[in-house]
Amino acid sequence: MRLKEFKFKRYRKFILPSVILLAVTEGAAIICGATFDDLFGGLGRGVLFLGNLFPPNWGAFPEMLDPALKTIIIAFLGTLFGSLMSIFFALLAASNLANPWVRNATRFFIAVERAIPEAVILILLIAAFGLGAMPGVVALSLGCIGMLGKLLADVIEGIDPLLIESMESVGGNKAQVIVFGVLPQILPNIISYTLFRFDINIRLSVLLGAVGAGGIGYELDYSFGMLDYHRAFTAMIFIIVIVFGTERLSYYLRKKIKMEGALT
Amino acid sequence: MTLLMIISIVVALACIYTDFNPIAFFVEFHYVRDLLGEMSPPNYRVLTDDPSTGMAILQTLSMAFLASLYGGVIAVVIAFLAASNTMPYKVVRDFFRFLLSLLRVIPALAIILIFVIAVGPSTFAGMLTLVIVTIGNFGKLFTEMLENVDNPPGEAIFSVGASRMQVIRYSIIPQILPTLMANLIFAFDVNIRTAISLGIFGGGGIGFKLQLAKSVLHYKDVAAIVTLIIVLVTGVEKISNYLRRKILGEGKLK
Amino acid sequence: MIEVKNLTKSLPNGRKLLDGISFKVKKGEFVGILGPSGAGKTLTLRCLNGLLKPDSGSVIIKSENSEPLDICKIDKRELRRVRQKIGVIFQGYHLVKRLSALENVMIGKLGQINTFRSLFYGFTDAEAEDALKALDRVKMSQLAGMQTGSLSGGEMQRVAIARAIFQSPTILLADEPISNLDPSNAKTIMKMIKPLSEQMPVVGVFHQPEMTAKYCTRVIAIKEGKVIYDGDPKLSNKRLEEIYGEELELIEQQEHMMPLTAK
Repeated sequence: MRLKEFKFKRYRKFILPSVILLAVTEGAAIICGATFDDLFGGLGRGVLFLGNLFPPNWGAFPEMLDPALKTIIIAFLGTLFGSLMSIFFALLAASNLANPWVRNATRFFIAVERAIPEAVILILLIAAFGLGAMPGVVALSLGCIGMLGKLLADVIEGIDPLLIESMESVGGNKAQVIVFGVLPQILPNIISYTLFRFDINIRLSVLLGAVGAGGIGYELDYSFGMLDYHRAFTAMIFIIVIVFGTERLSYYLRKKIKMEGALT
Repeated sequence: MTLLMIISIVVALACIYTDFNPIAFFVEFHYVRDLLGEMSPPNYRVLTDDPSTGMAILQTLSMAFLASLYGGVIAVVIAFLAASNTMPYKVVRDFFRFLLSLLRVIPALAIILIFVIAVGPSTFAGMLTLVIVTIGNFGKLFTEMLENVDNPPGEAIFSVGASRMQVIRYSIIPQILPTLMANLIFAFDVNIRTAISLGIFGGGGIGFKLQLAKSVLHYKDVAAIVTLIIVLVTGVEKISNYLRRKILGEGKLK
Repeated sequence: MIEVKNLTKSLPNGRKLLDGISFKVKKGEFVGILGPSGAGKTLTLRCLNGLLKPDSGSVIIKSENSEPLDICKIDKRELRRVRQKIGVIFQGYHLVKRLSALENVMIGKLGQINTFRSLFYGFTDAEAEDALKALDRVKMSQLAGMQTGSLSGGEMQRVAIARAIFQSPTILLADEPISNLDPSNAKTIMKMIKPLSEQMPVVGVFHQPEMTAKYCTRVIAIKEGKVIYDGDPKLSNKRLEEIYGEELELIEQQEHMMPLTAK
């Protein structure tokens, strides 16, 4: 093989993508007003601003406990109801359990749900019901469907078909196959994925809190709005502890369940 | 059975504590119907007549793109400093691992609020926030990726008398490059959604437009924007899946 | 020339892995090291290029026009320099699967190229031409542009040999180079390694006594960290039993699969 051909062939496939990449980056930078050096300037200013946060306002500590608890509970309830709903949708979205029409329609619905950021769902719910914990919980529950629904549906479709066949052949109807065959089989998956989602939902609960669901996210936003940065820092500390604790807990519990396919 | 009872009681307590009445959702469902009524038909004139809508979409895309690129690159660099097979000095490693943990745990909300004050409410603030969020999300993943790289070729390269940098360039980097690029594309996918959420807080882009429309009760506009968002996110997801499958062959990430 | 003097290495609990290994290998010799698993063969080989440091003893390398150098006593930087001229092939080939065969060969010279240039520019055309010539010697130049991961085991080992040749080494080491290959590929590889011994000392660790009997000029047997035999590659059955001990039974059972040429 001639050397010149070899080199040219290798590098030729990189030229077009590189040019496109460069062009898109330039365009995006112009739109955002963010060239590469701006990036570090901006990050720097953000870091400098952090100085305004110290020290945290320890006096505000007690009044943050209640919102913090609210945030955790919103995430908890959201995950609980969300995973229950997801199981329901997953069953409908599995090709080995539902007829093709239902299955495809459900999959489509799940995909659409996944495309809507939870904050958007919340805004719509607030428009309907007003502010409060209720829209928050509902938004988080619906948000689970996109992720858990798809994951669980895939798991169900991966079940050994012999299992389902054997249950049907001893005379079980659809409902029995599901309750006694499918659900026990996917239970470790359900728990593992739900724990993973709980971690995500805690972070979302904080964010949604500021959008209007209340809780410590709201406290954080409020403090910033009042220019009371020390109070904000107190809220931040709460959030960091909660998020970190949830992450560790979720990781630890998932490790204990220790099943193949559990997300890390 | 007792487990079920305990859980039910806990759930009931939780609901009471937060004033969350699940029944209320169904009883008051008419609000949802009312809202849907106000939202239809969706007003797509928002897209055709108002150029700033299209611009907002471009802004959101740009934010997510740049943040994935910049954040991804920075995350990789930090990963090299935090991985045991590329950074022989434990002190440096521990420092950067700690930094990555820190960035992962700080809530995105706090970050956007800070940047909105530091650089003003704009797409720029949103992008900076996303950069930090991306580093937090992917830094640890990249570090593990580096440490799980195949060792033997590296050993062979040491055997010809090469330096560690050369081993990194010729053994480690070629091995992680495809997965790295697939992850950057995945980051873009995730960041689009986050960008929209952050837009609501002053991060610019279509999220901001949505919040604006809602605050003046233009629900038909809201409906149109929501459908635009669905199309945008789904489109990005499809492209992202396609590109990642092309790069990795079979077996994508999450 | 390589001279190994009195290599010792022990585990923290006192067990001796290497117990006074000594031998000499000159240019023109193709030495095969045999022995039961865990005897210390691979450890010895790794001491020869500094991948492992023994507790005591020395490994002296002397090439035509330079001073003798004890690998065990030099610092990291010097070791890197010395390694440029030591070629190694491994049982697992140790190639970068994502790169092409040609690039893997050129990697052989990384120690000899200026670091800065190798990181940012890569390799020069001249180096690429030489690498092609090395691939030619192992009959792989047709596949120079192929991604290494898609080559067969025999082909990969040949690329590894080309990488070693490309270094223009003064010594060649081989760590069980044919253990992963089928008999026909193994023969090809042995046939390629043998002529190299005319230019430099070649030391290889093997698990295949019939191969060493056929291709090596000398055989060293190591058992429990000690050299128990150093001489004619054609080993008698009695010798084999001494070396492998109880494992000889296994070999006898497999006799029809691994015919021993020495009788």
